[in-house]
Amino acid sequence: MPFDQLDLKRAIAGDERAMQRLWSQHAPHIDAVVRRLCDDSELAADISQEVWMQIFRALPSYRGDSLFGTWAHRIAVNRTLNALRKIRRIAKLEVDIEDDSAMTEQDSDRTFVAESIEEAMRKLSPGARAVFVLHDIEGYTHGEIGEELGITSGGSKSQLFKARAKLRKLLVHLVDESSTVVVKGKGHVAPV
Amino acid sequence: MSHLSEEQLDQVIAAERSREQAPLNEWRTIAARAREEGLIRESQSSRWWASSQPWLQSAAAVLLLVGGIAIGRATIGLPSNAGLQSTAQASGVSVTPPASTAARVPAISASGDASFASVNDAAETLHRAVTDYERASQFLAANNTTGGNSDSLSMYLDRAAALDKIVNATESALRTAPHDPVINQYYLATMGARAATQQLVTQPVVLRGF
Repeated sequence: MPFDQLDLKRAIAGDERAMQRLWSQHAPHIDAVVRRLCDDSELAADISQEVWMQIFRALPSYRGDSLFGTWAHRIAVNRTLNALRKIRRIAKLEVDIEDDSAMTEQDSDRTFVAESIEEAMRKLSPGARAVFVLHDIEGYTHGEIGEELGITSGGSKSQLFKARAKLRKLLVHLVDESSTVVVKGKGHVAPV
Repeated sequence: MSHLSEEQLDQVIAAERSREQAPLNEWRTIAARAREEGLIRESQSSRWWASSQPWLQSAAAVLLLVGGIAIGRATIGLPSNAGLQSTAQASGVSVTPPASTAARVPAISASGDASFASVNDAAETLHRAVTDYERASQFLAANNTTGGNSDSLSMYLDRAAALDKIVNATESALRTAPHDPVINQYYLATMGARAATQQLVTQPVVLRGF
Protein backbone atom coordinates (compact mmCIF):
# COMPACT_ATOMS: atom_id res chain seq x y z
CA MET A 1 0.00 0.00 0.00
CA PRO A 2 1.54 3.32 -0.98
CA PHE A 3 2.14 5.84 1.75
CA ASP A 4 -0.04 8.79 0.82
CA GLN A 5 -0.45 12.30 2.10
CA LEU A 6 -3.31 11.31 4.37
CA ASP A 7 -1.14 8.69 6.06
CA LEU A 8 1.61 11.25 6.39
CA LYS A 9 -0.72 13.66 8.18
CA ARG A 10 -1.84 10.89 10.47
CA ALA A 11 1.72 9.83 11.23
CA ILE A 12 2.60 13.43 12.09
CA ALA A 13 -0.42 13.49 14.39
CA GLY A 14 0.91 10.39 16.15
CA ASP A 15 -1.27 7.72 14.58
CA GLU A 16 0.55 4.44 15.23
CA ARG A 17 -0.97 2.56 12.32
CA ALA A 18 0.09 5.25 9.86
CA MET A 19 3.58 5.26 11.34
CA GLN A 20 3.78 1.51 11.09
CA ARG A 21 2.76 1.62 7.42
CA LEU A 22 5.52 4.13 6.82
CA TRP A 23 8.06 1.96 8.61
CA SER A 24 6.94 -1.25 6.88
CA GLN A 25 7.28 0.30 3.47
CA HIS A 26 10.68 1.90 3.94
CA ALA A 27 12.46 -0.06 6.68
CA PRO A 28 13.96 -2.69 4.36
CA HIS A 29 15.84 -0.07 2.36
CA ILE A 30 16.57 2.33 5.21
CA ASP A 31 17.83 -0.43 7.48
CA ALA A 32 19.89 -1.90 4.68
CA VAL A 33 22.00 1.22 4.34
CA VAL A 34 22.44 1.38 8.12
CA ARG A 35 23.49 -2.27 8.18
CA ARG A 36 26.02 -1.75 5.38
CA LEU A 37 27.60 1.28 6.96
CA CYS A 38 28.06 -0.52 10.28
CA ASP A 39 30.26 -3.51 10.78
CA ASP A 40 28.25 -4.87 13.67
CA SER A 41 24.64 -6.04 13.45
CA GLU A 42 23.86 -5.16 17.05
CA LEU A 43 25.18 -1.67 16.59
CA ALA A 44 23.25 -1.39 13.33
CA ALA A 45 20.01 -2.30 15.10
CA ASP A 46 20.63 0.34 17.74
CA ILE A 47 21.44 2.98 15.16
CA SER A 48 18.41 1.98 13.11
CA GLN A 49 16.20 2.72 16.11
CA GLU A 50 17.75 6.17 16.38
CA VAL A 51 17.30 6.68 12.66
CA TRP A 52 13.61 5.89 12.82
CA MET A 53 13.10 8.09 15.86
CA GLN A 54 14.75 10.91 13.95
CA ILE A 55 12.58 10.26 10.90
CA PHE A 56 9.42 10.40 13.02
CA ARG A 57 10.60 13.50 14.88
CA ALA A 58 11.38 15.21 11.60
CA LEU A 59 8.16 14.22 9.84
CA PRO A 60 6.55 17.65 10.28
CA SER A 61 9.49 19.18 8.40
CA TYR A 62 9.01 16.94 5.35
CA ARG A 63 7.73 19.23 2.61
CA GLY A 64 7.41 16.74 -0.20
CA ASP A 65 10.16 18.33 -2.30
CA SER A 66 11.65 14.89 -2.85
CA LEU A 67 10.33 11.36 -2.60
CA PHE A 68 9.73 10.35 0.98
CA GLY A 69 12.14 7.43 0.62
CA THR A 70 14.90 9.73 -0.60
CA TRP A 71 14.30 12.17 2.25
CA ALA A 72 14.30 9.37 4.83
CA HIS A 73 17.37 7.77 3.26
CA ARG A 74 19.31 10.99 3.68
CA ILE A 75 18.37 11.10 7.35
CA ALA A 76 19.48 7.48 7.72
CA VAL A 77 22.89 8.15 6.19
CA ASN A 78 23.47 11.32 8.22
CA ARG A 79 22.36 9.76 11.45
CA THR A 80 24.41 6.61 10.92
CA LEU A 81 27.56 8.46 10.02
CA ASN A 82 27.12 10.79 13.00
CA ALA A 83 26.66 7.80 15.29
CA LEU A 84 29.75 6.14 13.89
CA ARG A 85 31.74 9.33 14.31
CA LYS A 86 30.65 9.58 17.92
CA ILE A 87 32.01 6.20 18.71
CA ARG A 88 35.18 7.02 16.82
CA ARG A 89 34.81 4.29 14.29
CA ILE A 90 35.21 6.44 11.25
CA ALA A 91 38.29 8.46 12.20
CA LYS A 92 40.67 6.18 10.45
CA LEU A 93 40.34 6.37 6.69
CA GLU A 94 43.17 4.07 5.75
CA VAL A 95 42.29 0.63 4.49
CA ASP A 96 42.86 -1.72 7.35
CA ILE A 97 42.23 -5.42 7.44
CA GLU A 98 40.71 -6.16 10.79
CA ASP A 99 40.74 -9.26 12.85
CA ASP A 100 38.36 -11.98 11.71
CA SER A 101 37.24 -12.60 15.28
CA ALA A 102 35.01 -9.55 15.02
CA MET A 103 32.64 -11.54 12.84
CA THR A 104 29.10 -11.69 14.13
CA GLU A 105 26.45 -14.32 13.62
CA GLN A 106 24.93 -14.57 10.16
CA ASP A 107 21.40 -15.36 9.09
CA SER A 108 21.11 -18.82 7.65
CA ASP A 109 19.06 -17.67 4.68
CA ARG A 110 21.63 -15.27 3.29
CA THR A 111 23.22 -16.27 0.07
CA PHE A 112 26.84 -17.15 -0.26
CA VAL A 113 27.48 -13.97 -2.23
CA ALA A 114 25.69 -11.80 0.33
CA GLU A 115 27.62 -13.37 3.20
CA SER A 116 30.86 -12.97 1.32
CA ILE A 117 30.38 -9.32 0.49
CA GLU A 118 29.24 -8.50 4.01
CA GLU A 119 32.28 -10.22 5.41
CA ALA A 120 34.53 -8.45 2.95
CA MET A 121 32.99 -5.06 3.74
CA ARG A 122 33.65 -5.62 7.43
CA LYS A 123 37.31 -5.97 6.57
CA LEU A 124 37.42 -2.51 5.05
CA SER A 125 38.24 0.45 7.23
CA PRO A 126 35.13 2.36 8.35
CA GLY A 127 35.93 5.23 6.01
CA ALA A 128 36.56 3.05 3.00
CA ARG A 129 33.43 1.07 3.72
CA ALA A 130 31.36 4.24 3.98
CA VAL A 131 32.67 5.52 0.66
CA PHE A 132 32.12 2.16 -1.01
CA VAL A 133 28.57 1.74 0.33
CA LEU A 134 27.52 5.28 -0.47
CA HIS A 135 29.03 5.34 -3.96
CA ASP A 136 28.73 1.85 -5.34
CA ILE A 137 25.57 0.67 -3.59
CA GLU A 138 23.61 3.80 -2.72
CA GLY A 139 24.58 5.81 -5.78
CA TYR A 140 25.99 8.93 -4.13
CA THR A 141 28.42 11.09 -6.10
CA HIS A 142 31.92 11.72 -4.79
CA GLY A 143 30.91 15.32 -4.13
CA GLU A 144 27.98 14.24 -1.98
CA ILE A 145 30.15 11.72 -0.17
CA GLY A 146 32.75 14.39 0.46
CA GLU A 147 30.11 16.56 2.10
CA GLU A 148 28.78 13.70 4.21
CA LEU A 149 32.17 12.51 5.41
CA GLY A 150 33.99 15.82 5.56
CA ILE A 151 36.59 14.79 3.02
CA THR A 152 37.46 16.02 -0.45
CA SER A 153 36.01 14.56 -3.60
CA GLY A 154 39.50 13.32 -4.48
CA GLY A 155 39.77 11.68 -1.08
CA SER A 156 36.50 9.90 -1.71
CA LYS A 157 37.73 8.62 -5.08
CA SER A 158 40.94 7.43 -3.50
CA GLN A 159 39.08 5.58 -0.77
CA LEU A 160 36.79 3.98 -3.32
CA PHE A 161 39.75 2.82 -5.40
CA LYS A 162 41.33 1.23 -2.35
CA ALA A 163 38.06 -0.31 -1.23
CA ARG A 164 37.37 -1.86 -4.60
CA ALA A 165 40.91 -3.17 -4.91
CA LYS A 166 40.62 -4.84 -1.54
CA LEU A 167 37.18 -6.25 -2.30
CA ARG A 168 38.39 -7.69 -5.60
CA LYS A 169 41.02 -9.54 -3.63
CA LEU A 170 38.78 -10.56 -0.74
CA LEU A 171 36.03 -11.83 -3.02
CA VAL A 172 38.18 -13.84 -5.37
CA HIS A 173 36.75 -17.06 -3.94
CA LEU A 174 33.46 -16.19 -5.61
CA VAL A 175 35.01 -16.95 -8.98
CA ASP A 176 35.53 -20.51 -10.05
CA GLU A 177 38.06 -21.73 -12.57
CA SER A 178 35.82 -20.88 -15.51
CA SER A 179 35.76 -17.20 -14.45
CA THR A 180 32.12 -17.35 -13.46
CA VAL A 181 30.73 -15.65 -10.37
CA VAL A 182 28.99 -18.33 -8.36
CA VAL A 183 26.16 -18.19 -5.90
CA LYS A 184 26.16 -21.12 -3.50
CA GLY A 185 23.02 -23.18 -3.82
CA LYS A 186 21.71 -21.10 -6.69
CA GLY A 187 24.14 -21.93 -9.42
CA HIS A 188 25.91 -19.27 -11.40
CA VAL A 189 24.94 -15.63 -11.53
CA ALA A 190 26.41 -15.08 -14.95
CA PRO A 191 29.61 -15.70 -16.77
CA VAL A 192 31.92 -12.72 -16.93
CA MET B 1 43.35 -15.99 -10.18
CA SER B 2 44.14 -13.64 -7.26
CA HIS B 3 41.65 -10.88 -7.95
CA LEU B 4 38.13 -10.37 -9.27
CA SER B 5 37.95 -8.26 -12.35
CA GLU B 6 36.26 -4.86 -12.11
CA GLU B 7 33.32 -6.28 -14.04
CA GLN B 8 33.01 -9.23 -11.72
CA LEU B 9 33.05 -6.93 -8.70
CA ASP B 10 30.34 -4.79 -10.30
CA GLN B 11 28.28 -7.91 -10.73
CA VAL B 12 28.63 -8.82 -7.06
CA ILE B 13 27.77 -5.25 -6.05
CA ALA B 14 24.65 -5.32 -8.24
CA ALA B 15 23.54 -8.53 -6.54
CA GLU B 16 24.10 -6.95 -3.13
CA ARG B 17 22.27 -3.76 -4.12
CA SER B 18 19.15 -5.64 -5.15
CA ARG B 19 19.13 -7.99 -2.18
CA GLU B 20 16.02 -7.75 -0.03
CA GLN B 21 16.83 -7.44 3.65
CA ALA B 22 14.62 -7.71 6.66
CA PRO B 23 14.30 -4.69 8.98
CA LEU B 24 16.81 -4.59 11.80
CA ASN B 25 14.14 -4.18 14.47
CA GLU B 26 10.58 -5.24 15.07
CA TRP B 27 7.87 -2.61 14.88
CA ARG B 28 6.99 -3.05 18.54
CA THR B 29 10.53 -2.03 19.47
CA ILE B 30 10.31 1.11 17.37
CA ALA B 31 6.78 1.79 18.59
CA ALA B 32 7.81 1.48 22.23
CA ARG B 33 10.50 4.12 21.73
CA ALA B 34 8.13 6.36 19.81
CA ARG B 35 5.54 6.03 22.53
CA GLU B 36 8.11 6.90 25.20
CA GLU B 37 8.98 10.06 23.33
CA GLY B 38 5.35 10.98 22.84
CA LEU B 39 5.56 10.56 19.09
CA ILE B 40 2.73 8.03 19.14
CA ARG B 41 -0.44 9.42 20.60
CA GLU B 42 -3.51 7.50 21.56
CA SER B 43 -6.23 9.03 19.46
CA GLN B 44 -8.78 11.11 21.29
CA SER B 45 -11.60 9.33 19.54
CA SER B 46 -10.22 5.94 20.54
CA ARG B 47 -10.03 7.02 24.14
CA TRP B 48 -13.55 8.32 24.02
CA TRP B 49 -14.77 5.16 22.37
CA ALA B 50 -12.99 2.88 24.81
CA SER B 51 -14.17 4.70 27.88
CA SER B 52 -17.75 5.33 26.88
CA GLN B 53 -20.66 3.30 28.16
CA PRO B 54 -21.74 0.23 26.15
CA TRP B 55 -25.16 1.74 25.52
CA LEU B 56 -23.49 4.85 24.14
CA GLN B 57 -21.42 2.71 21.79
CA SER B 58 -24.55 0.92 20.65
CA ALA B 59 -26.30 4.24 20.10
CA ALA B 60 -23.41 5.43 17.97
CA ALA B 61 -23.53 2.20 16.00
CA VAL B 62 -27.21 2.68 15.25
CA LEU B 63 -26.53 6.25 14.27
CA LEU B 64 -24.03 4.90 11.77
CA LEU B 65 -26.56 2.40 10.58
CA VAL B 66 -29.31 4.93 9.98
CA GLY B 67 -26.95 7.58 8.68
CA GLY B 68 -25.35 5.14 6.28
CA ILE B 69 -28.71 4.09 4.93
CA ALA B 70 -29.76 7.70 4.47
CA ILE B 71 -26.56 8.57 2.65
CA GLY B 72 -26.80 5.46 0.51
CA ARG B 73 -30.41 6.15 -0.45
CA ALA B 74 -29.72 9.79 -1.23
CA THR B 75 -26.78 8.78 -3.41
CA ILE B 76 -28.75 6.35 -5.55
CA GLY B 77 -31.67 8.74 -5.80
CA LEU B 78 -34.30 6.90 -3.79
CA PRO B 79 -36.62 8.50 -1.26
CA SER B 80 -35.27 8.01 2.19
CA ASN B 81 -38.27 8.16 4.49
CA ALA B 82 -39.85 4.73 4.26
CA GLY B 83 -36.81 2.54 4.65
CA LEU B 84 -35.35 4.79 7.23
CA GLN B 85 -38.48 4.72 9.34
CA SER B 86 -38.96 1.01 9.03
CA THR B 87 -35.37 0.29 9.92
CA ALA B 88 -35.53 2.64 12.83
CA GLN B 89 -38.79 1.14 13.98
CA ALA B 90 -37.28 -2.31 13.79
CA SER B 91 -34.56 -1.16 16.14
CA GLY B 92 -37.01 0.60 18.41
CA VAL B 93 -35.60 4.05 17.74
CA SER B 94 -37.57 7.07 16.61
CA VAL B 95 -35.96 8.74 13.62
CA THR B 96 -36.67 12.15 12.16
CA PRO B 97 -36.27 12.04 8.40
CA PRO B 98 -33.86 14.56 6.89
CA ALA B 99 -35.46 17.78 5.76
CA SER B 100 -32.98 18.31 2.96
CA THR B 101 -29.94 16.74 1.38
CA ALA B 102 -27.83 18.95 3.55
CA ALA B 103 -29.21 17.16 6.61
CA ARG B 104 -28.59 13.57 5.72
CA VAL B 105 -27.60 12.43 9.17
CA PRO B 106 -30.89 11.83 10.88
CA ALA B 107 -31.67 13.05 14.34
CA ILE B 108 -32.55 10.52 16.99
CA SER B 109 -35.39 11.55 19.25
CA ALA B 110 -34.29 12.24 22.77
CA SER B 111 -37.83 12.11 24.09
CA GLY B 112 -37.75 8.41 24.79
CA ASP B 113 -41.06 7.82 23.01
CA ALA B 114 -40.14 4.19 22.32
CA SER B 115 -41.25 2.16 25.29
CA PHE B 116 -38.17 0.78 26.98
CA ALA B 117 -38.32 -0.56 30.48
CA SER B 118 -34.76 0.46 31.29
CA VAL B 119 -31.47 1.64 29.87
CA ASN B 120 -30.37 -1.99 29.64
CA ASP B 121 -33.51 -2.83 27.69
CA ALA B 122 -32.76 -0.06 25.22
CA ALA B 123 -29.12 -1.13 24.98
CA GLU B 124 -30.13 -4.72 24.19
CA THR B 125 -32.49 -3.49 21.48
CA LEU B 126 -29.73 -1.39 19.98
CA HIS B 127 -27.37 -4.33 20.06
CA ARG B 128 -29.89 -6.52 18.23
CA ALA B 129 -30.39 -3.82 15.62
CA VAL B 130 -26.67 -3.59 14.99
CA THR B 131 -26.40 -7.34 14.66
CA ASP B 132 -29.34 -7.44 12.23
CA TYR B 133 -27.80 -4.64 10.21
CA GLU B 134 -24.49 -6.43 9.93
CA ARG B 135 -26.16 -9.68 8.86
CA ALA B 136 -28.36 -7.95 6.32
CA SER B 137 -25.42 -5.99 4.90
CA GLN B 138 -23.37 -9.14 4.51
CA PHE B 139 -26.26 -10.88 2.78
CA LEU B 140 -26.86 -8.01 0.37
CA ALA B 141 -23.19 -7.65 -0.40
CA ALA B 142 -23.00 -11.33 -1.22
CA ASN B 143 -26.25 -11.69 -3.15
CA ASN B 144 -27.30 -8.40 -4.67
CA THR B 145 -24.50 -7.39 -6.99
CA THR B 146 -26.34 -6.29 -10.14
CA GLY B 147 -25.76 -2.89 -11.64
CA GLY B 148 -22.14 -2.33 -10.65
CA ASN B 149 -20.24 -0.49 -13.36
CA SER B 150 -17.42 1.95 -13.94
CA ASP B 151 -19.72 4.91 -13.24
CA SER B 152 -20.58 3.62 -9.80
CA LEU B 153 -16.90 2.90 -9.10
CA SER B 154 -16.03 6.44 -10.08
CA MET B 155 -18.78 7.76 -7.85
CA TYR B 156 -17.56 5.69 -4.90
CA LEU B 157 -13.99 6.87 -5.42
CA ASP B 158 -15.17 10.49 -5.43
CA ARG B 159 -17.20 9.83 -2.33
CA ALA B 160 -14.26 8.18 -0.57
CA ALA B 161 -12.06 11.19 -1.37
CA ALA B 162 -14.71 13.59 -0.09
CA LEU B 163 -15.21 11.54 3.06
CA ASP B 164 -11.47 11.64 3.71
CA LYS B 165 -11.70 15.41 3.81
CA ILE B 166 -14.60 15.24 6.23
CA VAL B 167 -12.68 12.80 8.43
CA ASN B 168 -9.77 15.23 8.55
CA ALA B 169 -12.09 18.07 9.50
CA THR B 170 -13.87 16.09 12.18
CA GLU B 171 -10.58 14.79 13.59
CA SER B 172 -9.46 18.37 13.89
CA ALA B 173 -12.76 19.27 15.53
CA LEU B 174 -12.34 16.38 17.96
CA ARG B 175 -9.02 17.74 19.09
CA THR B 176 -10.80 20.97 19.97
CA ALA B 177 -13.78 19.31 21.62
CA PRO B 178 -12.85 15.71 22.35
CA HIS B 179 -15.88 14.91 24.48
CA ASP B 180 -18.54 16.76 22.56
CA PRO B 181 -21.23 14.18 21.65
CA VAL B 182 -22.34 16.00 18.49
CA ILE B 183 -18.81 16.17 17.10
CA ASN B 184 -18.26 12.54 18.02
CA GLN B 185 -21.45 11.56 16.24
CA TYR B 186 -20.38 13.32 13.07
CA TYR B 187 -16.96 11.73 13.31
CA LEU B 188 -18.34 8.23 13.83
CA ALA B 189 -20.94 8.60 11.10
CA THR B 190 -18.26 9.76 8.67
CA MET B 191 -15.89 6.96 9.61
CA GLY B 192 -18.69 4.44 9.15
CA ALA B 193 -19.65 5.86 5.78
CA ARG B 194 -16.04 5.84 4.69
CA ALA B 195 -15.54 2.22 5.70
CA ALA B 196 -18.69 1.27 3.80
CA THR B 197 -17.53 3.24 0.78
CA GLN B 198 -14.14 1.60 0.79
CA GLN B 199 -15.86 -1.77 0.69
CA LEU B 200 -17.93 -0.59 -2.27
CA VAL B 201 -14.79 0.63 -4.03
CA THR B 202 -13.28 -2.82 -3.84
CA GLN B 203 -16.54 -4.38 -4.99
CA PRO B 204 -18.91 -1.74 -6.43
CA VAL B 205 -22.52 -2.83 -6.09
CA VAL B 206 -25.91 -1.24 -6.15
CA LEU B 207 -27.96 -2.34 -3.22
CA ARG B 208 -31.44 -2.68 -4.63
CA GLY B 209 -32.95 -3.46 -1.27
CA PHE B 210 -32.56 0.09 -0.01
